[in-house]
Amino acid sequence: MRFTRRRLLGGAAAAAIGGVGIYELVDQLSESPTRPQADALASIPEQHVFDLSAVQSEGVTVLVPPLHSEIVTATLADVDLPKAQQDLEETLRDLDARYEPNPAGLGVTIAWGRPYFGRVAAAAETHLPIDRRADKSVLVPERRFPSDPDDTILERNDIAVLLRSDSLDSIADARKAIFEDLPFFSVTSIRRGFAGGGFDGKQSLPKRMAMAAGIPGADLIPDTSELFLGFTSTQKAGLGPRLIANHETLGFVDTRGGYFHGGTHMHLSHIAEDLEAWYLNFDFDERVLTAFRPGMTDVKYNAQTVPQGPEDIGPPEQLTEQYKATGRFGHSAAIQASSRLQQDVVGPDGTLYPKGTAIPQRADFNTLDNPFAFTSQPERDKLKREPAAGVHFVVFNPSGDDFERNRLAMDGVLPDGTTLEVAQRSRAQGFNSVLTTTHRQNFLVPPRRHRSFPLAEIQ
Amino acid sequence: MAGVIAGLALVAAVPAGSAATPGGCPAKWLGGWQALANRIQAPVYCPTWMPNPLDAKIGGQYIDIYSVNKDRSYLVSFLEHGDAGSGDVHVNFRGYPGVTKIPRCTTVVPNGKKTIRGTTPCFADAAGTRTARGITATVYRVNQDADQWHILLAWKHRGSLYTVSEHVIAPYTYRQVVKNLDRLLAGLVVVRPEG
Repeated sequence: MRFTRRRLLGGAAAAAIGGVGIYELVDQLSESPTRPQADALASIPEQHVFDLSAVQSEGVTVLVPPLHSEIVTATLADVDLPKAQQDLEETLRDLDARYEPNPAGLGVTIAWGRPYFGRVAAAAETHLPIDRRADKSVLVPERRFPSDPDDTILERNDIAVLLRSDSLDSIADARKAIFEDLPFFSVTSIRRGFAGGGFDGKQSLPKRMAMAAGIPGADLIPDTSELFLGFTSTQKAGLGPRLIANHETLGFVDTRGGYFHGGTHMHLSHIAEDLEAWYLNFDFDERVLTAFRPGMTDVKYNAQTVPQGPEDIGPPEQLTEQYKATGRFGHSAAIQASSRLQQDVVGPDGTLYPKGTAIPQRADFNTLDNPFAFTSQPERDKLKREPAAGVHFVVFNPSGDDFERNRLAMDGVLPDGTTLEVAQRSRAQGFNSVLTTTHRQNFLVPPRRHRSFPLAEIQ
Repeated sequence: MAGVIAGLALVAAVPAGSAATPGGCPAKWLGGWQALANRIQAPVYCPTWMPNPLDAKIGGQYIDIYSVNKDRSYLVSFLEHGDAGSGDVHVNFRGYPGVTKIPRCTTVVPNGKKTIRGTTPCFADAAGTRTARGITATVYRVNQDADQWHILLAWKHRGSLYTVSEHVIAPYTYRQVVKNLDRLLAGLVVVRPEG
């Protein structure tokens, strides 16, 4: 489905912020990227797989994210689950029929939280996959991490729906179909955002949006930056390949009877970003060592796309050695022992995943929500009208434990038991000093065939 | 929005004490700057305008730091804390007589029970230049010590390095600070040592 982009009208930016919503600026300030032909839906059993086009950025292959992303969370009313399952599936199939499953069309990912599985507890006890390394369910209880503030909110939504598209209208259509036309859900939050632009040398979307909203530090964002923090985040070699985040692919997870074969784990958080602190206190070299690792002296000044392929990753012991020498560790270096394969792995379909391949599939996007575009609990969520720089962090891992290993490593707690002793959220701890996580929740993303009220039919 | 309007109003205001004698350092401020030039036996730059509510009277109510090192380099800092909620306004002037190289500042990184000490350029992340009144100054966005979180302009004059910087903090946004620095730069006058 193609859509007609609104024309940019003179002076539209300021009016749009005050009137019809800042995110419509995305349509006004950008052009839709060229997108590849989509596979037929029937060939994509996974809900979370969303094929993106690739471009070259500073000599590195980079995936072009959808312009718009939105997450709607909700709780469930008391419903007849089998009936609700049929109705939701009918709605989703209608959306599938009307939109191509790529950013030119629409991506819909239905994720379910622990409160939902409490409603189908007996079936969940039997069918929820088990993480073999952690010896517990792939859907672990939410927790705060060492660098999280004490008031990070651990949410308890039944459902989160991730909508991705180059068209705001398509996302609005899906939101209405699922959350307004069906009677099952009580919306708890709407989270909106954007990413990309800038790969063609023009001013990127995050830069333009931040400038239009008057975000502190907006002037300091590099003109063509894919995200607020100035580095390209979607380079192909830095994201998990197509099926690697499936429960079953790497053997981390026992899918038991196979009900959730083709599913994955999704972590959702909102993170506030202090752009002025990032750009006024960290010079370029320090931003590089913070984002990647100390000792990267060959990065061209003001580069945005820094190669992060398997061959660019140092050995795990390099992290602790550099920390001893410098008292610092970089974000990428800290998580690589858990976020990259430590040896070759052959998936169940015969695909070889070489040592060094990235595992997590990120779908994060920048936002001006503060912290959400809408919340049913504005006081609890400290909702503010003023736009603020942030990221709605969305990541798919084979299990919740796998996500936790990565997130703990970001705080210097490494998978081999080593802890890098550093004051939490200090400058030595990389990104954490300019990030503040406000909300977290874990979800399970079933395979497409069970995306609607999973397990309701066997409860 | 109210904060932005207030900020713009502040930019437009000129403190009563800053009226300049034509082409020279304002009479109320001249004494301190002249004394500084005499002490270091090198020219110094006196502003003829300061962002509201500051003045540039050395020894006046807004002086925060007045420091002259053995190598004759100096730091003159003016600060208004704005405890009543109006925000902070902080402007620094530096000079390095006989030196044009960007100085290095000490870094201290705690590492367990150890402390790792190093150095880093005091002014970094150059982002273009601004020109006014015959001065072409480089804009530095990442600065250390008393200039941390400031935007800083640095320029060379007869074998010496000079800087002026302002803190990016409410009520002044980054963009307003850049405008303030442009206005400061355009109003700088040289005060030479006497005798």
